[in-house]
Amino acid sequence: MKSVPPKWADRFLQWYCRADLLEEIQGDAYELFYRTAKESIRKANLYFIWNVLRFFRIKNIRKSKSSNHTIPSTAMIKNMLVVAIRNFMRQPGHSFLSIAGLSAGLTCVLLIMLWIINEKSFDRFHTDTDKIFKVLTHVDADGSFQTYDVASSSMDVSSIPEAGTLVSVSTGTRWPHELCFRPEGKSNECIYLNGVYANEHLFSVFNFPVLKGDANPLKGASNIAVSEKMSQALYGATDPIGKTIKIDGSQDVTIVSVFKNAPSNSSLQFDFALPYAVLQKQWGLNDEVMARNFFNMYVKTNSIISAEKLTEKLNDIRVLTEAHKAQKVSYQAYPLTDWHLKSKFEGGKNTGGRIEYIVLFSVIGGLVVLMAVINLVNMSTARATLRAKEIGIRKVTGALRSTIAIQFMTESFLFVFFSFVISVLLAQLALPYFSNLTMQSVSLTLLSGSVPIYLICLLISVALLAGIYPSLIMSSFQPIRILKNQLTSKSSGSQGFRKALLIVQLSVSIIIIIFGGVLYKQLEFITNKNLGFNRSNMIRVEPTYRLLKKFDAFKNELLKNPTIVSIGASNDNLLNSAGANTGVTWLGKPEDSRVSFRTIGCISEFPATMGLKIIEGHDFQVEKTDTLRTEVLISKEAVKTMGLKNPVGEEIKIGQMPCVIIGVVDDFHTSSLHETLLPVILFRQSVEAVSALYVAFKPGTTEESMRALTNTYKTLEPDYTMKYWFQDETFDEMYKTEIVASRLVLLFTVISLSIAVIGIIGLATFNTLRKTKEISIRRVFGASAAQALSVLTREFLWVLVIAMLVASPLAWYAADHWLQGFAYHTTMPWWIFGATCISIAVLIIFIIWLQGMKAIRANPTETLRSE
Amino acid sequence: MKGNYLGELEELVLLHVGILYPEAYGVAVMDEIEKQAGRSLNISAVHSVLTRLEDKGYLKSKMGDPTEERGGRRKRIFLLTAAGKRALEEANELRNQLYSQIPKMALQFSPVVVRC
Repeated sequence: MKSVPPKWADRFLQWYCRADLLEEIQGDAYELFYRTAKESIRKANLYFIWNVLRFFRIKNIRKSKSSNHTIPSTAMIKNMLVVAIRNFMRQPGHSFLSIAGLSAGLTCVLLIMLWIINEKSFDRFHTDTDKIFKVLTHVDADGSFQTYDVASSSMDVSSIPEAGTLVSVSTGTRWPHELCFRPEGKSNECIYLNGVYANEHLFSVFNFPVLKGDANPLKGASNIAVSEKMSQALYGATDPIGKTIKIDGSQDVTIVSVFKNAPSNSSLQFDFALPYAVLQKQWGLNDEVMARNFFNMYVKTNSIISAEKLTEKLNDIRVLTEAHKAQKVSYQAYPLTDWHLKSKFEGGKNTGGRIEYIVLFSVIGGLVVLMAVINLVNMSTARATLRAKEIGIRKVTGALRSTIAIQFMTESFLFVFFSFVISVLLAQLALPYFSNLTMQSVSLTLLSGSVPIYLICLLISVALLAGIYPSLIMSSFQPIRILKNQLTSKSSGSQGFRKALLIVQLSVSIIIIIFGGVLYKQLEFITNKNLGFNRSNMIRVEPTYRLLKKFDAFKNELLKNPTIVSIGASNDNLLNSAGANTGVTWLGKPEDSRVSFRTIGCISEFPATMGLKIIEGHDFQVEKTDTLRTEVLISKEAVKTMGLKNPVGEEIKIGQMPCVIIGVVDDFHTSSLHETLLPVILFRQSVEAVSALYVAFKPGTTEESMRALTNTYKTLEPDYTMKYWFQDETFDEMYKTEIVASRLVLLFTVISLSIAVIGIIGLATFNTLRKTKEISIRRVFGASAAQALSVLTREFLWVLVIAMLVASPLAWYAADHWLQGFAYHTTMPWWIFGATCISIAVLIIFIIWLQGMKAIRANPTETLRSE
Repeated sequence: MKGNYLGELEELVLLHVGILYPEAYGVAVMDEIEKQAGRSLNISAVHSVLTRLEDKGYLKSKMGDPTEERGGRRKRIFLLTAAGKRALEEANELRNQLYSQIPKMALQFSPVVVRC
């Protein structure tokens, strides 16, 4: 059998080659192929392909036949624009729907885009930001890893050649990071500002530019650097450099520099920076104890090095130290730029973080744009029948297919451009509201940085996507058939294609709605979840040292008010306890066990104030019953963990502190519901050592109680402004991300639903127009209104059923995946699936009914007589 | 003169078209060049030179008969035109004339001098 050269290459040659050159070129290529084929087919094939590729030269390439027609003249463009605008005006309702749908979709996408750009820009403003690593600490506690974003402050990286500078920063939200500053001249006013303690490299490694004064302020042991904002708040317009501030009323520090406010996309936020020497004095620690502290550690490397390599080097025994290794501690170098988005750790591995929401909203944004585009495509192809005559006339008078295609592309561009302008305006208007919704300053404006480039890309791709199908379909009309009125429904774009688009659209809407429903259900579950203690009608007050000294007076004074129920105090907030203690020992604890406990020090009234339920033993008494050992209450979970039969009276040790169990309390949560609850030990502590006071008041007496509290605080601590929080607000704060997400999802649900409704209205209108005669004839033969309606709804219902079948599993998967992120979550609410599907079906039938009633009610003779 | 300049490859191809008369077409020229001058060219390169020479007016072409070995396709047979003949003659003449002007001394090579 005679061999043949590769078909695709031959076809490629035929496709590109000029007709007048094709014969000889192809002939030469074939001749060489046959000649080589005598030696080896493979070689001949390769040779043929090579020759075909080599022949691919400008000179040999086929010129477009109508090259002088493809670019329409200005007169033609003008005509196209005029026709487009006339068409637009002729059907204002339809045009308005299309533009509204597209603008809504684009606005959504613009906002999502801004939000994502903002999220992604976190910590990228530092110079050489890819060389800065944050050191994380993993502690292996019996297989369950605890991950902390701090590392030993005495870490020594001099053995790592790549590690350049080590920055140590101590951050926090309370004393001593949050301090009271008094503005000049108003000594009894207090402005609370949050700052950091850091070593001298803070300002050289990170990009927090010093505006005035010493460029390296943290060298001196009694210096302070303040932000512009702080300088403004304390000194107004006067130059703050050289002024002295008394910290905590005891230590004098001098302002040596003013730095620019940390940008909002920085994960390090602070209004002042102090050297560690100040912190050490505040804590009253000696050098040795101070060195044992863990702070935020950042390594800036000299050269580009991968995080894995650096991690390996950090875990070298010279850096990690023997002592830490023995405690099963390990370090991880984490790229600074990843920290903001990927800060969730489970079992020592990153499991996401905010990045999940970035992905979620990118997908939603993409889907919303897709829906808007589908709408536009559906509407313009459906409209094609109405414009068929125009196309016919154009073709008869000599328009080429490409001219028609360009006309429809131009229209699409015009449409998209118009919607785009509207959506940019809308987005700009919505930006403040959106920032509020996301509880974050989306500082970007639409016209800065690389945003315009993204915008233009978006504009072009949307216009192309929306224009390509209609322009291909409409330009393919045969003029004779159009003008003879023989245009079948088939030639006005494939029905199947349009239905497929509608299925995609409906599926997307259903998925978004169901997912939104599940998200809401879970949030409701969280807010109503019994955490095991009271969080409503409870105020947390940050005590000052003086107030703690006078705690009894504070308590007695407050309790005189009938609205105040009780007062407790502890060294931790039950809503958001930090840290886990692996140093708890009890009789019969396995040697190598490193179980984590939550250990919370509190005063005797604390369990009652919090509403903890004692299920065994008794609560703390006002007077200690056991003077030698510390009394503790443990949770049910802790009893299980320790495997105690009769817990009451048992002895345990927290670190070196001997304790005795006097009672067991019911389990309660001590952190976010993303995590499983830990066993808890409440130990009795003197009131001077607590860090939070809790005031429980009667429901509905918020105002009176607040007044009483403020007054009491004022009399006992006149120098400070009271700092307080409502516990339920703190609780909401913990689920900020989820709340923001649910608000956004709600917004997008509404928008995507309205886009889908617009699409269905558009299609239903044209469907009804097309079927008016059919309905009239049916009516003449005696069909009832309901039967006529079923003609219109039948095809939509099929589309809906398929969309449901497609959407439900996808929605289930997405929702389930999201719910798994919570250790405690609601069951999958199946009724949402049913409710969504039924309500969408009802909505569709309603829309079709609205549209169809005109056709059904009309006198059949009227419609049938029209021709 | 610039437009009529004859490149080295062009001259080579032009000569071979003359040699192969009356059977000069793409593949034949390519083969002949390989045989005579020892230069292996790609068919597309030969092709582009042939069409360029035709554009310059040094060659004319006609379609030959279809042959089996080309899958039933015709060859394009190239023939020298008068202008082509003159261009070859001019090139040849110029070369001879220039060569004859080289001093004899310059062409005498003693084996002692050449040592590199």
